[in-house]
Amino acid sequence: MPPGLEAVLSLTAVTKVYVSSHLGRKTVSRGVSDLDLEVRPGEVFGLLGLNGSGKTTTFKLALGLLKPTSGAVRVLGLPPSEPRALAELGFLPELPYFPGFMTPAEILGFYGGLSGLPEAGLRDRVEAVLKLVGLSASSGRRMGEFSKGMVQRVGLAQAILHDPSLVILDEPVSGLDPLAIKDFRDLLQDLNGRGKTILISSHSISELEKLCHRVGILKEGRLARVLGRDEWSGGLEEKFIETVRPGGAP
Amino acid sequence: MSPVLVLALNSWVENLRNRFFALTLAFAGVVLYLSMLLGLLACDQEVRVLLDFGLGLIELMGLVGAVYCAATVVLREMETKTVYMILTRPVDRTRYLLGRFLGLMLSAGAAMLIMSAAHLMILLLKGWDFRTVYLWALLGVFLKVLVTASLAMFLALLATSALSALSITMILWSLGHFLPEIRLMVRRFGSDSAAVMAPLKAVSWVIPDLQLFNLRDKLDLPAHLSSGVPAGSWLLYAGCYCAVWLAMAAVLFRRKEF
Repeated sequence: MPPGLEAVLSLTAVTKVYVSSHLGRKTVSRGVSDLDLEVRPGEVFGLLGLNGSGKTTTFKLALGLLKPTSGAVRVLGLPPSEPRALAELGFLPELPYFPGFMTPAEILGFYGGLSGLPEAGLRDRVEAVLKLVGLSASSGRRMGEFSKGMVQRVGLAQAILHDPSLVILDEPVSGLDPLAIKDFRDLLQDLNGRGKTILISSHSISELEKLCHRVGILKEGRLARVLGRDEWSGGLEEKFIETVRPGGAP
Repeated sequence: MSPVLVLALNSWVENLRNRFFALTLAFAGVVLYLSMLLGLLACDQEVRVLLDFGLGLIELMGLVGAVYCAATVVLREMETKTVYMILTRPVDRTRYLLGRFLGLMLSAGAAMLIMSAAHLMILLLKGWDFRTVYLWALLGVFLKVLVTASLAMFLALLATSALSALSITMILWSLGHFLPEIRLMVRRFGSDSAAVMAPLKAVSWVIPDLQLFNLRDKLDLPAHLSSGVPAGSWLLYAGCYCAVWLAMAAVLFRRKEF
C-alpha cells in the first residue's frame, strides 16, 4: 500500500444510473446518487441499508464490475479496473459457488493461478490460508460435502489468498448458524488484526456493531450517515432505524 | 502459468466432470453400436455406411457439447457469481474468454478423440483399410465444431440468453452447409438494388462455410483421388473466423457490466 494514503477506497460524488430497455420501453433507475465514501487503511467499515439501498451497487463500483455514470472511484488511488488495483482487492460475494467435485486446495490453486501467484510457492500459500480459515483438515475433501459455513470459509480463503490490502465481503454471514457466525467474526477480527482493511455489508446489525470501527448507512442510494463506534455505543439498531425510516435523517 | 491456461484447464476439468459430457459419450457409444447394425443392413456398403454415419455422429456429438458449453459458460458463471471472483482479480476480460474457449477446445477435442478411437476400432474390425484421409476428415470435423462454437460464444453474449444463442447457432450451422448454394442464389436471383443485395451478401459472409471442411465424400475414393487436403486453407479460414467472432465477443464482454 502506498505510504501516506488516506483512503484505501474512495468514492467521490459517484452516481450510477441503470438504463434497461424491454420491447422498446426504457426503464431508468438509480443505484447510488452522489455518493461520497472513504474507507481508511486498517479499519473495518460496515455498510448498512435496506434492500435496494445501493450496497451491492457500491461494492460492484468498488470492484470495477460496474462503471460509474458520474464521479470517481479509486482503490489505493487507482481506478478499480487497473490490474494493480485488482491485485490489492479480495472479494467474497454473497453465497459463493464452488463446483462440488473440487477440493478447497484445488479451488485455491485455481484462484491463486489467476491472481498471478508464482507456482513455486502456491502450494505453501494455499496450505497457510487454509490453516488460517480453519480448513487444514478438510483441504482434500470435496466441496459437495461441505456445510454452508465451510463453503463461506473457502470463499474467504480465496478472497485473502493473494494477500490483498482491501477485503470486500458481501453479506458474509448470510445463512450461517450462530456458531458459524461467531467463528466467522473471529476470523475477520484476526484478519483485521493482521492489517487488512475490510469493507463489509450485512443485514445483521449486531454483527456489524461487534466488528466495525465505522458504519455507513445507505438510504435510497445515498450515504445518509456515517457513524463511528463511539457514536452508537450499543445502540446501532436504533440509529439505523431512525435513519432509514421514512422521514428519518436524510 | 498464464491466466488463459489456468482458465482453460479449469474449464476442461469442469467439462470432463459435467454429466452432460458423460451423457454425450454414452450416447455416442449407443449410436456407434446402432451404426454397426445399420451397416449390416447396408450389405455390401457396410463400411461406407459405418464411415458416414460414424463421422456424422462424431461431428454432431462434438458440436452439441461444444456449442452448449460456448453458449452457457459465461452466462452460468454470471448466474453463480463465479465470474465476480474471477474478474475481480488481475485477469483481462479478453483473456478470460480466450481461456474459456481454449478449455472448450480441449474438451471437444478429448470427446471427439475418444469417439473416433471407438469408431476407428469398429471400422478396422470390419476390415476397412486405414487411410490418412480419415484423420484429415476428423480435423475438418473438429474445425467445424470450433468455428460454430466461436459463433455461439459471441451470440450468447449478444443475446444474453443461452436458448436464443443455441437456436441461432444451430440455424447458422445448418445454413453453413449450404453456403456455396446460398451465394450462388444471391448472385443469380439477386436484385440490382444495392440496398437489397448488401444485407444478403453480408449474411452470406456471417454464415460459416462449413462445407469447406467436409471430406466425408472423399473417404471411400481411391487414394490418388482423395489426395490434396487443403489443410492450410482450412486452418487459415477456421483461425480467422474464430478470431473475428471471439474478438467481437471480447468487445461485448469488455463493455459488459455485472
